[in-house]
Amino acid sequence: MSGKCPEYVNELNDYLDGGLDTETCAQIEKHLGACENCRILIDTLRKTVSLCRGGKKEALPPALETRLNDLLKAHWERKFGRRPS
Amino acid sequence: MEETELVRRAQSGDFDAFTELINAHKAQIYGLALKLSGNEQDAEDIVQDTFLRAIDKIDQFRLESAFGTWLYRIALNQARALFNKRRQGELGPIEDYLPPGHELSAGDPSLSARLALYDWKDPEKLFEAEELRTTIDRLIAELPYLYREAFVLRYIEELPVKEVAESIGESEAATKSRILRARLALREQLARIFEDRHERKMP
Repeated sequence: MSGKCPEYVNELNDYLDGGLDTETCAQIEKHLGACENCRILIDTLRKTVSLCRGGKKEALPPALETRLNDLLKAHWERKFGRRPS
Repeated sequence: MEETELVRRAQSGDFDAFTELINAHKAQIYGLALKLSGNEQDAEDIVQDTFLRAIDKIDQFRLESAFGTWLYRIALNQARALFNKRRQGELGPIEDYLPPGHELSAGDPSLSARLALYDWKDPEKLFEAEELRTTIDRLIAELPYLYREAFVLRYIEELPVKEVAESIGESEAATKSRILRARLALREQLARIFEDRHERKMP
């Protein structure tokens, strides 16, 4: 024993994300019922992902759009030897 | 026009067809680049390099996947190439992020209290939404790239572990370990920040 919780570290990912068999899940849950630190660890690991997911979608900055358009046209012309209209 | 036809036209030099293909995916590619890099400047470079590379390689695209998937892979490679050039930190082994064994503290309430993990329940009550978002984005951006990449692909892009492993060229076991270490490291940093704020707000 390393003196560290949880004992189920190898199964931690699968437990959090689903994909563990019910028997192992039940064992882990039994441990969680008895070990407050592990319960907090699991809870806050779940919340970590849900907080990280909440970002908003950003549109391309207009300046980038303009720059890209010129740059890609020039690159296209170098490759195909003809100027895009 | 069908994607296959657009690809065929682009491959024979039709820039408008290429632009149409790109336009359908540029927001997604920019979003990915922003999440992988954590800042606008690098995200813009990744987007730009991705599209230039797509022009270079357009004739090699054999329609074995959707155009968007092909472009997405190029973007991942460009992001990785960018961050490979920079020095990256390392994360500790999984054990470093785990709480001390409960058997150590059992029967000793004061030790138990000292070793207790901070249980953050509603960080939304401690932070304005925007500050919370900025804090989280900063922490993700500060992860060493290899960990950030695995974490972002798994939980923000929501790819299954198998696809993340394929995208980053690692075994599933190594990928899972990377994802877990990133998640544990983020959790620990968030716990520190939330606890600190909690103590200052409600001493």
